[in-house]
Amino acid sequence: MDYSTASTYLAVSRKIADGIHSSAGSTCVILNRPMSQTSSKPEVFDVVVVGAGAGGGTMSRVMAGKGVKVALLEAGPKLVPEEEFKEHDWDYNYDHRGAGPGAEGYFGKGKPFGFMRTTSGGWELPDEPYTVGSDSEFAWFRSRVVGGRTNHYGRMSFRFSELDLKARYRDGVGPNWPISYADLAPYYDKVEKFIGVTGTREGIPSAPDGIFHDPPPPKAHELLVQATGKKIGIPFIANRRAIITRNLNGRAACHYCGQCSRGCLTASAYSASQVDIFPALETGNLTLLTDAMVREVLTDANGKATGVLYIDRKTREAKRVLGRSVVLAASTCESARILLNSTSKAFPNGLANGSGLVGQNLMDTVGFSVSGHVPALEGMPVYNTDGFGGTHLYAPWWGYNDQAKLGFPRGYHIEFGGGFGMPGLGSGHGAARKAGYGRKIKELMREGYGSRVGFAGRGEMIPNRFSYCEIDPSVVDDWGIPVLRFHFKFSDYEWKQARHMEQTFKGIIDALGGTVTNVGGGFEKSGISMGGSIIHEVGTACMGTDPRSSVLNPYCQAHEVKNLFVTDGSSFVTNPDKNPTLTINALSWRAADYLGEELRQGNV
Amino acid sequence: MSDTGLVQIGNVSRRDALRRIALALTAVGTGSLDLASAQQVHHAARSVSSGGTYEPKFLKPHEYRTVGRLAELIVPADERGGSALDAGAPQFIDVLCSENGQLGRIYTSGLGWFDAWMRHHHDTTFVDATEQQQTALLDAIVTAEQEKEQASADDFDEYFEVDSDLGPGVRFFDWVRKMSVDAYYSSEIGIKDMGYKGNGAYSEYTVPKEALDFIKPLL
Repeated sequence: MDYSTASTYLAVSRKIADGIHSSAGSTCVILNRPMSQTSSKPEVFDVVVVGAGAGGGTMSRVMAGKGVKVALLEAGPKLVPEEEFKEHDWDYNYDHRGAGPGAEGYFGKGKPFGFMRTTSGGWELPDEPYTVGSDSEFAWFRSRVVGGRTNHYGRMSFRFSELDLKARYRDGVGPNWPISYADLAPYYDKVEKFIGVTGTREGIPSAPDGIFHDPPPPKAHELLVQATGKKIGIPFIANRRAIITRNLNGRAACHYCGQCSRGCLTASAYSASQVDIFPALETGNLTLLTDAMVREVLTDANGKATGVLYIDRKTREAKRVLGRSVVLAASTCESARILLNSTSKAFPNGLANGSGLVGQNLMDTVGFSVSGHVPALEGMPVYNTDGFGGTHLYAPWWGYNDQAKLGFPRGYHIEFGGGFGMPGLGSGHGAARKAGYGRKIKELMREGYGSRVGFAGRGEMIPNRFSYCEIDPSVVDDWGIPVLRFHFKFSDYEWKQARHMEQTFKGIIDALGGTVTNVGGGFEKSGISMGGSIIHEVGTACMGTDPRSSVLNPYCQAHEVKNLFVTDGSSFVTNPDKNPTLTINALSWRAADYLGEELRQGNV
Repeated sequence: MSDTGLVQIGNVSRRDALRRIALALTAVGTGSLDLASAQQVHHAARSVSSGGTYEPKFLKPHEYRTVGRLAELIVPADERGGSALDAGAPQFIDVLCSENGQLGRIYTSGLGWFDAWMRHHHDTTFVDATEQQQTALLDAIVTAEQEKEQASADDFDEYFEVDSDLGPGVRFFDWVRKMSVDAYYSSEIGIKDMGYKGNGAYSEYTVPKEALDFIKPLL
């Protein structure tokens, strides 16, 4: 079974743009200082940053901390957590009970992942279409709000290892990174100290230890999975998530409501908005412009970046922000789009694209999931399993010494769920269909409560020449900006890995004495997650030492434009089975230190 | 971990409660947050649900009563709690039908089919039929449904086809059934029935001894 068209699955969240931000207001903290006025010279910022997510938030905070003047442009509105986040709320406080206004949840529309989530965007934005090549399927998640996807992401925070960065030396597949773990480690340290990440020191080569906050203890069903994993050779260790369990820099320790994906009102879970950007605004060095859709990077006759051109969503005016340097962190595909749309005589194929690699090497994470029913868990006394949201344990990739036997390169980590979750919409559907109607529904629900476990694999994709994005010459969005067209294919490497996930998870459920109830489904209906659906897209402006085979140098600086940097996932050379955000934070911080020094020395 | 000690704050608005928790938390200097303040916010309701007596906006009075009767048959009261009717299923369904024309048509046509079936077989309406007549129809529908392969348990919006003259009834019944169980399990009584103990604020997370004692022999 296939997806007839990607657009079937993109037919969600139409209502988002209308409703969600109406309460958040439209002005920002320091909006639109006088610029381009006839009487005064326009302000030239030291750094113009595009995109207020993990990469842009880190860059803006670090640079503002250095005392330089930063302009940060965000395509969405500002964020008011107290109004936007639905943490601690109950479905019954809404007439629609979480189905969303207009019953959108019953028709596959509304907010991705449900009404209570704090997603401010989605797979389809009414004013920002994209196209997909006829031979491909791809789903592009955009978050349009200060903080971007960090407001609701899973906070999984795993360091890349030397095994990941130099994987070609092991298996001859794909490229190596131009940097090693020794280059990244000091910045992982800085990031972890600053944002706070839980974990335990384990000494596992595929999962380098970090500077950790204490993790919460495993839940009862997690102990069972851990013991079972031990018997079949899969190590489950404390999860590493960007959540603080002791107070840090004025942020309160986690209070274990388990609702991180709704946005964390106490900022105990990291978000770029609350942890990077709001404090950076207090320095007075950061100017935040919201509702600013950046179209292109502007360049002068010498090929230097001079700022960006953006469309003000509120007024639909095209405006400029000028800077001595420009940092794109608009998200992997959006940054590629901006570069490709930044054409000039000197750069006819897009800015910094002499290699032709901007938009190429598009990667997502490989995903597959299996869930089951474990009778041994029936009858456990019901207790609070919210914890710090999601799983307290995970399994880092364990097969790195057996790759030859496995028949596919690289690996995946395992996330899993279970416990006594908050009942709500959808929780009774399975029992209801099984029971038909009547008292039996409640009985099945009570018996089954807490006895379900679900496993999800998150694995590495090898970049291939069939997976890329480019400008669609025939379509523009509502802002007049040419849109992206996606092409995407998983190779045998990924398909074999997905089957290994399936067999592994079925094996764990079997070892638990359970029965498999669900295999794949949703975005995984074809047997592997649809490209883009794991929302780990990276690689469209890869870093390297050779300008012929890379877009950026190892400091995320464009080879061809010395005062242009790209510090989101675009620079990734490969996409290890580690969720990308922590590494985006680290690379962006590293780039900020480098750029700061270059600015100081007058080199850019 | 028990839910004792959680504080309900009647008339305090959610916004006020959030301000309080924010104040309490920024003042934190010790290892744990001000638990009492933190807990308050978890129970501060956002007042977007209608209070008082509900006047149906979309369904006709007999349709509204029929939905209520169906909800009661689908999730009946038992010794541990009320029914889907008690949980507000008719209001939930009526509100959404009033906001979504497609859903409204599903209900008007489905309820029409139910009443026509009763009129044809017993010369009455569904809501005025005897309990035996009502359950006989539901049993026939469920039997026809289960003769076909069970649809995927997780499908939220998928119709499935049944080749019999009960087909329209089967399709509609799946809608009213899923929305009735949704009304029940999203309600305070449904959540209490399940015994869900979360959505609180705690200075630390621990697994209670009885759960650890339960799991220990399995490890």
